Amino acid sequence: MKNNIKVERARKNITQAQLADLISVSRQTINAMEAGKYVPSTVIALRLSKIFGIEVSAIFELEPGD
Amino acid sequence: MKANYLFPAGFKVPALFILIPSVIIGILLLTFNYEPELLNIRILSVIHNEFGDPISTFRIIENNVLNEIIMTLILVSAILVAFSKEKAEDEFIQKIRLESLVWSTYVNYAVLLLSIIFVYDITFLWVMVFNMFTLLIFFIIRFNFQVWKLNKTIADEE
Repeated sequence: MKNNIKVERARKNITQAQLADLISVSRQTINAMEAGKYVPSTVIALRLSKIFGIEVSAIFELEPGD
Repeated sequence: MKANYLFPAGFKVPALFILIPSVIIGILLLTFNYEPELLNIRILSVIHNEFGDPISTFRIIENNVLNEIIMTLILVSAILVAFSKEKAEDEFIQKIRLESLVWSTYVNYAVLLLSIIFVYDITFLWVMVFNMFTLLIFFIIRFNFQVWKLNKTIADEE
């Protein structure tokens, strides 16, 4: 699974720590998601969608094999 | 999602201050076999079996309770250190918690399995004494190491 959290975060001009606060997760979670090491739950995906103001499918993208 | 069976985050550090001295005292007790006269008291033994005697139940016996006290302290504080929430306990941290628990269970029983095969008699008894606590100890080390590694990754990027 690919995601463009980092890009969207840059667009909103907020740090990992700020985004972590906004969606009530740990700083480690944001870092791991951006690095593609962690696929979040639907709840977190929807919170990201709300903060970024875009569809979940515009943030996350399936890769071949998923 | 809500029932994660963890203790509040505030318990972790105080429990660590009980765990570390208790482990040190426990190891010293095992090494020097120290039994202070003061703690020789009469207590209830639910199942009792002395050499040569038949098994009896619910008997009052005399016993030095220092090792019982230390073992209780180690167990309770190790459980609290292991299973108190992190400050930011979210789903990702819980995933790491689960992975660490699986890992430490494998390691603990791998060590026990090797001991069953290669260690005998009274020495095996020592293995069992340590094995009562090693699962928790392995978990505490593994989980905190994994969290430390994540924090280090973040710090390196800044």
